[in-house]
Amino acid sequence: MAKEDKNDRYLVDYGEPVGIIAAQSVGEPGTQMILRSFHLAGIESTISTSGLPRIIELVDAKKKPSTPITYIYLDEKIGKDFDKAAETLKKINEVRMNNIAKRVLENFSKGKIKVILDRQELESEGVTIRQVASKIDKALDLESKVEDNGVVVNMHTRNLKEIRAATINMMKMLVSGVEGAGKGTIRRDESTGEFYLVSAGSNIEGIMQVDGVDRTRTTTNDVFAIYRLFGIEAARNSLALELKKTLKEQKISVDERHLNLIADAMTASGTIKGVGRHGLSGEKHSVFARAAYEETLKHLIHAAAFGEVDPMRGVTENILVGKQIPIGTGSVKLVIKKGDMAKIKPQGGSK
Amino acid sequence: MQTEVIDSIKFGILNPEDAKKLSVVKLTVPDTYNEDGYPIEGGLLDQRMGVIDPGLLCKTCGARAKSCPGHFGRIELVRPVLHSEFSKVVYMILQSTCRNCHRLLLSDEHIEEYKGALTKLEEVVVDVETDAIEDKVEMGSLPMLKRLKNMKKCERCGTPKGKLKFSAPTYFYVDDYKLKPDEIRDLLAKISIEDLQVLGIDSVASRPEWLILSVLLVPPVNVRPSITLESGERSEDDLTHKLVDIMRINLRLEQNLNAGAPQIIIDDLWELLQYHVTTYFNNETASIPPARHRSGRALKTLAQRLKGKEGRFRYNLSGKRVNYSARTVISVDPNINLDEVGVPFEIATKLTVPFYVTTWNLDKAKELLARAEYPMVMNVIARDGKRKRVIDLNREELIKELQPGDIMERQLMDGDITLFNRQPSLHRVSIMSHKAKVLKGRTFRMNYCVTPPYNADFDGDEMNLHVPQNLEAQSEAAYLMSPQYQIFSPRDGDAIITNNEDGITGMYLMTKEDNYLTKEQAVYILSIAKVYELPKPTKDGLYRGRDIFSAMLPKGLNFEGKSAKSPFVIKDGKLIEGVVTKETFGRGDNKLLVKIGKDYGYDVLKDFIFQTAKVADAYVTLMGVTVGVKEYTTSKKLEVERVRLLEETFGKIEELITQYKTRKLEPLIGYTLRQSLERMIIAELNLVRDKAGETLLKYETSEDNAAVEMTRSGSRGSVLNIEQMTMFLGQQATLSGGRIKRGYYTNRVLPHIVPGDVRPGARGFVATSYYSGLAPTDLFMHAVGSRSSEVYKALLTARSGYLYRRLSNALQDYCVDSDYSVRDTNNNLIQTVYGGDRVNPIFVQFQKLEAHEKS
Repeated sequence: MAKEDKNDRYLVDYGEPVGIIAAQSVGEPGTQMILRSFHLAGIESTISTSGLPRIIELVDAKKKPSTPITYIYLDEKIGKDFDKAAETLKKINEVRMNNIAKRVLENFSKGKIKVILDRQELESEGVTIRQVASKIDKALDLESKVEDNGVVVNMHTRNLKEIRAATINMMKMLVSGVEGAGKGTIRRDESTGEFYLVSAGSNIEGIMQVDGVDRTRTTTNDVFAIYRLFGIEAARNSLALELKKTLKEQKISVDERHLNLIADAMTASGTIKGVGRHGLSGEKHSVFARAAYEETLKHLIHAAAFGEVDPMRGVTENILVGKQIPIGTGSVKLVIKKGDMAKIKPQGGSK
Repeated sequence: MQTEVIDSIKFGILNPEDAKKLSVVKLTVPDTYNEDGYPIEGGLLDQRMGVIDPGLLCKTCGARAKSCPGHFGRIELVRPVLHSEFSKVVYMILQSTCRNCHRLLLSDEHIEEYKGALTKLEEVVVDVETDAIEDKVEMGSLPMLKRLKNMKKCERCGTPKGKLKFSAPTYFYVDDYKLKPDEIRDLLAKISIEDLQVLGIDSVASRPEWLILSVLLVPPVNVRPSITLESGERSEDDLTHKLVDIMRINLRLEQNLNAGAPQIIIDDLWELLQYHVTTYFNNETASIPPARHRSGRALKTLAQRLKGKEGRFRYNLSGKRVNYSARTVISVDPNINLDEVGVPFEIATKLTVPFYVTTWNLDKAKELLARAEYPMVMNVIARDGKRKRVIDLNREELIKELQPGDIMERQLMDGDITLFNRQPSLHRVSIMSHKAKVLKGRTFRMNYCVTPPYNADFDGDEMNLHVPQNLEAQSEAAYLMSPQYQIFSPRDGDAIITNNEDGITGMYLMTKEDNYLTKEQAVYILSIAKVYELPKPTKDGLYRGRDIFSAMLPKGLNFEGKSAKSPFVIKDGKLIEGVVTKETFGRGDNKLLVKIGKDYGYDVLKDFIFQTAKVADAYVTLMGVTVGVKEYTTSKKLEVERVRLLEETFGKIEELITQYKTRKLEPLIGYTLRQSLERMIIAELNLVRDKAGETLLKYETSEDNAAVEMTRSGSRGSVLNIEQMTMFLGQQATLSGGRIKRGYYTNRVLPHIVPGDVRPGARGFVATSYYSGLAPTDLFMHAVGSRSSEVYKALLTARSGYLYRRLSNALQDYCVDSDYSVRDTNNNLIQTVYGGDRVNPIFVQFQKLEAHEKS
């Protein structure tokens, strides 16, 4: 070993059970998160899931967060201009037909659907009636006409089912904005005076294609969205960051190395895997470790039918059979050269 | 010495032929005892399968119940049945193979497509010169199985596959013809080894036809012991019951077959046999009714024994029961050091520690063995492994026989290493090593400074004590698990063992700016800390509290930190400025404990915490700190202020409500008008709570108020606590975090409230205090809040417990490898260097301190 460095004593040693420590570091304060979030309820205007539910959601690798949020930053040129920011928001805001429709009149005898639009809503979303009409023509392949305060769709049929289906489809239709971007609001960063948008959706891919959006800074709390767009390394960072953020919100200090390890473990395979029975724990090599965790029968049956081998290298399986666990001080093995065993002569004392 | 080590364990299926060889008896009589109460030969409790009654001898191995391992018997089924748990595997194989040529449906070249990809992978695995186990390549890859499933006919012989239907748990149909188990067996038996390999099945360990049972292995009697009730009646194990059922039907089926009964009767009995075998393996099999005991309780059969939290795996195999342990109530003793534990004498006489006899300590060993009272030797384990209990009669003899290499088990003594634990063991500091200190009394005694890691208090908590039984375990415990090495938490590097409670109050009071002690007091206090040198007195012959504190500091310590309001400065081991508060020791970087730990080591740090806590306790005892009603009696001025604050807030809220009603309220971005009003009201109520706290501190300036003083020092209680007692309780929250809502049939919580009222009082804001007493409606609101919080707590403990279980299960195998990378059991790389920089999180505060010092 090289000369001892003073800093060496701050480093981890061989065999350190970092996985268990990371799990404990996140698991143990889980019980403390309870009371804290309880007392603080209602102070901050948080729209996102936080605390324990959020941690569980992240660690489970849920495909979609229960409250997806995208932080949309704007190009520097327009970032300080409220009007420009509002304009960009209009381009992003997901507006569906039923958001702007005041009344829907289905005329089954004439085969026509009339939608009366809310002028106020139209104005605030920056959409014209003409645009709506052309959108209906294009997206739904229908024939629509602009009338004084709305649009009329001529269905050329008197089939009730078809008309009703068309109405439903039309109400769901995206009028303007980005699919899956959700509704957004404008916020102001107090320190820089810059405006940014917060939207309750996570289609960053779509959002980033909107003019005026700064692609380098725009981000989301949806780890899978980041994974799809940027790949596994970005997903790993995002996962670790979200864990960090959530714990910080709860005023629980956990060293980031633990959270990084969890994120690394979840993403080491190249895709995001949860920690539960369908993820890391369910894909362990050891039959015993899987059987002792959850779904005992399933794993034993599979192992027997296919003739699986348990390599006995993990913690659980060695505890099961009563062997020393191969972790920490248990990972140290005595090695001896092949021929040297003969040279050793037993000396008195215990066997 | 360990000579044989389990290297790996292979799973497989028992061959019927092997089952016959393995079993010692073929069971033929579907009953247990005869009229004389003697086990029937060939019955389910045949003594050749082992015995359970202590006096009897096993008819196979001749051993007594205690040493006989038990022997398997067998039931030979006259008609084969499916093993229901494996029927999915059978289905998979039937689906993938041709029923005409008995090969895989895919042609060789199509198999190669999958094989090709797989062998490549195999090469990669073999190539890597590591310790890694060659990954058993999953031949039965999912895409291939999917393709096989959807194939309509055999690619080899062109035979159409026909419609194969599987109906859980054990029925298979081909084009509506029901396949009999023996037909399925014949089909499976004809599949070649190569084809099975492609499916991922190791045919040496498990031939698929073995999945159809013709010989049923009967577990030994000691696996299913019968219990004799007080009435003398015998009660059989559930498994025995089930086996009796199987044998009974098996016998009837045999008789019917021999008698040439019609096919319908045979089929019915066959199906019944199948049912009994299925429930024998798993009595919770979906879509069939569970077999029941006479009393109506569902039987616990094989699968139920293994499954779940109380099953064999989690209850008996993952959870071990141990000897050499004790458990009792804990209580405080500030005179016991952090790394000690007070062990009741009664426990110390029963727990033992091994004493290894060598040539060098033989005389000492004999001396110890000769003792007839505590501390004495309880057992002697001779070199041949025989354990002898030491009694007065054989003591002389044992002394004579004692030789180097023997091990004596002596009673627990002062200084012995023990492991101390409190459940739930949520993190590693939930179990630490303490040196035993044998004391009078019947509780474990511990220093209160080590309660935080255990999360213990003394309201009746019990803790466990274990005695490590060999030198390796003892030294590991002493050098890795001792509290002084656990002062800093690996979670974030903050001190988790630290001064707390009175240990802070005392220090705070003592080190106050203008606090002086008389000579008598100073001498007394210092003697507690075993300091026999008085600091310099002032002109009046008094001693500064600060100097007393300084006397306990390590020599030459230099430190600059923060205390409550002022900086906290120590120069050359003397406290120059500042008052000791929780913050001084507490959490975060640049704290006193980190500095001492880094510069003087853990042993000094441990003693520092111990001494200061002890001194603080002595000081508090000397000066008297007590909390009574007087602490929470409000002054007139504060009462006026309280009323004013509340009126102001209520007025503001009233205004908001009018604005809301007249639609003049400006809604918050992203919220409806109603939600905005609710949020604004909550914001106002939170504001008044904070304001009340500030006001309280402004008016309660007296240093005589012990409650406020404790809050100031940070040792116990928050401003909110005092506020709730003296001013008002504030908003009661519900599960969802919002204000209390709904109630009876209208939109109100109580009948005293106008429906739809959103004012604070109507929605759970309690404006009265514990001191003034709660108004009737307030009491109700408070009860709602309390209950709500109780429910919430229960809910989240369950959730967080499960999260922890999942996390630890997923991560437990990851450890730092010899190249400081993090790897799993299969040597897969998780992190190239732990944490990116190899820094141990325990020491992050040390590092921060270093950076702080350098700048």
